Amino acid sequence: MANQSPDRRQILAMLAKVATLSQFPGFSRWVCATENTSAVSTRPSTYKPSFFTPAEYEIVDKVSDLILPADDSPGAHDAGVAEFIDFMVAHDDELQYPFRTGLAWLNAFAFEKEGKNFSQLSLEQHEALLRKLAFRSQQAPTEVPGQEFFALIRKYTVLGYYTSRIGLEALDYPGLRLYSASPECPHRDDPEHKHLPAPRV
Amino acid sequence: MPKQIYDVVVIGTGAGGGMAIHALCQAGAKVCALNGGRRLDPHKDFRNHKQPYDLPFRGLGDPKKRKDYIGYMDNEYTEGIWEHDIAFTTAPGTVWTWRRCFAVGGKTNFWGRSSARFSDIDFKAASRDGYDVDWPITYEEIAPYYTRVERMIGVASTVQNRPSNPDGEYLPPMNFRCMDCILESGAKKIGIPYLPDRIAQLTRSHAGHPACHYCGNCTDGCDTGSFFSTPWFFLPAAEKSGNLEIRTNALAKNILTDENGHAAGVAYVDRNTKQEIEVYGRAVVVAASCVESARILLNSKSRHWPDGIANSSGQVGRNLCDHLYGTTARGYLPQLLGQPSFPDNVSASTVAWLPRWQNLENPKQEKFIRGYSVYPDGGCAGFPYYAGQLEGFGRDFKREIKRRYPTPVSFYIQAPTQRSDSNYVSIDPAVKDIYGIPAARISFAWDENTLLMWEHGKQACEDLLRASGAEYLGAGEIDIPGTSLHETGTCRMGNDPKRFVTNHFGQTHDVPNLYICDASVFPNCTDKTTTISILAFALRTTEYLIENRKT
Repeated sequence: MANQSPDRRQILAMLAKVATLSQFPGFSRWVCATENTSAVSTRPSTYKPSFFTPAEYEIVDKVSDLILPADDSPGAHDAGVAEFIDFMVAHDDELQYPFRTGLAWLNAFAFEKEGKNFSQLSLEQHEALLRKLAFRSQQAPTEVPGQEFFALIRKYTVLGYYTSRIGLEALDYPGLRLYSASPECPHRDDPEHKHLPAPRV
Repeated sequence: MPKQIYDVVVIGTGAGGGMAIHALCQAGAKVCALNGGRRLDPHKDFRNHKQPYDLPFRGLGDPKKRKDYIGYMDNEYTEGIWEHDIAFTTAPGTVWTWRRCFAVGGKTNFWGRSSARFSDIDFKAASRDGYDVDWPITYEEIAPYYTRVERMIGVASTVQNRPSNPDGEYLPPMNFRCMDCILESGAKKIGIPYLPDRIAQLTRSHAGHPACHYCGNCTDGCDTGSFFSTPWFFLPAAEKSGNLEIRTNALAKNILTDENGHAAGVAYVDRNTKQEIEVYGRAVVVAASCVESARILLNSKSRHWPDGIANSSGQVGRNLCDHLYGTTARGYLPQLLGQPSFPDNVSASTVAWLPRWQNLENPKQEKFIRGYSVYPDGGCAGFPYYAGQLEGFGRDFKREIKRRYPTPVSFYIQAPTQRSDSNYVSIDPAVKDIYGIPAARISFAWDENTLLMWEHGKQACEDLLRASGAEYLGAGEIDIPGTSLHETGTCRMGNDPKRFVTNHFGQTHDVPNLYICDASVFPNCTDKTTTISILAFALRTTEYLIENRKT
């Protein structure tokens, strides 16, 4: 076992635990599933972007956190989404032009509407600007480049957030655990699921 | 030094080759197995326990490599496993995607695990509806082999008493999830079956293999061997027997013949040295998978076999069939909006299926002949793909993504094509692969019958969603031909040597010591997947070969 990575040893330990638990019929069938406890990688406090300029990066970080903010789970900033976007754009030639021009467009849009750089605006001002790009009811035909850029950065924000540990935990992604038995619907007495408890979300 | 002659040379170590190796080594035969790729190390090559954030590109893949990925299984999790170097071509007008695994164990490392038996409704389909030919075998003849295979590999399901789906010996089924209960209720209302799939995934430990741990990532390979693959189930014991030599990176080029035109062995290219090497055997089993097997036979030209070995019928490469795959319907289940997340993903979409329900009592009830099956998918998966359909941003957007997490549902059709003269494999007259071996060329198009099944399936799945109280969001697209990996029919079995390549034992009519153990011998594609039938037919073929050795 000496040549196995810590990752591998941890998985084997988990599997052993699942196997042991499954010996005990008294355990609920899958609630005993073992948590994957690998540590969240710690992020250096100052990240040096490899594609974006510091000013661009600040906007990417801000916009991603406006798209997926902290609520009862951490937001895009805490999940390092801007770092993910910087990494992807640095590796994808086809993304570089749209991101560079899109960020410039957004900053110019901020200046036109509010007389300031995007980064200098308040939360309310940020949200008002993004609403004009995000909602069909508020979109202007002259602002198509901004709408397209917003769709692009939103797509990459969603990708970055929901592939991070924080994002998957926010969804309570079941694949973060292993199970000792095939998970079973807990409402078998209500096959059509017409009488479920009130939604949690 | 006298040249070494093995009892049997087996080309391929996937389902068919692996079964042949297993049975031969158990019977004491000395086997040399040729495998076109390398061995996999489950602990290094299978990344089924990696989370997206463990990979540099979060599972999306390096954009510079992404365009080379072949279909959905070829991705950052399985990088370095699927074959990219060996060329094939397509005839003008043919679009074909071809995901080949040349690693030891072949596609059994990553297969979908659905394992329904074929039935007499499949074998005698031609007698029922008048199209093409019956199989040269009855269900009664093959049933014992299915039973033995199920005991070897472990299949989870229930007894269902359906005419087109004979029951077997099963481990306890996977449990139904919330989405299954809802869809089953809807299916009952409109009179179509919604049942546990037959699934080669160990719901309890079986034959020395540990039970599934439900990580949900089977198609990235299983590092505990909790579903059947030849490297976990067959090859270790065969190698331990001392009767097996596996030669890796050994790309089979052609079958060698003796002065009588019988098989004498195989010539292969060592992919490391690019040298051509010959290996000799008293019999040869070809199990390179449907298209590759045809390519090897067609490339085996000699004085005796100017059109390729075992091809006096001219039928090698002909009659290529495939499964049409495609998303017949998408929707979401409002009943589950805002409910806690549930481990729906843990079986990678193999809990339930809708086995063939068309043309059973009356073979000409529908506008099409034969039938198709459907697999449901949905629930809490890793990534919320539906987020792109939602408007807005901010807390409302994030809450809506979470609220919808348990609700998505979709259906995937498995519709067989019927044989036709225009769907076939030939050798490209001009193109060779990087080792100088003439490339396979594929000529293929969906037939009208299959497209009628697709239309029927779209309507049935829309009806099912509506009957289940779901919101219907529309149909998806038909996948590119080749996606299913269920090619069949390039070396069909049949009793007439003028019309078929092998007899009903999978022994070629022309060359008595040449056998074929893969889906190329199947006369046509059915509504079921191929692997368990490859295993059952290969077991029967190999035991026939062993009997022939004795006499």
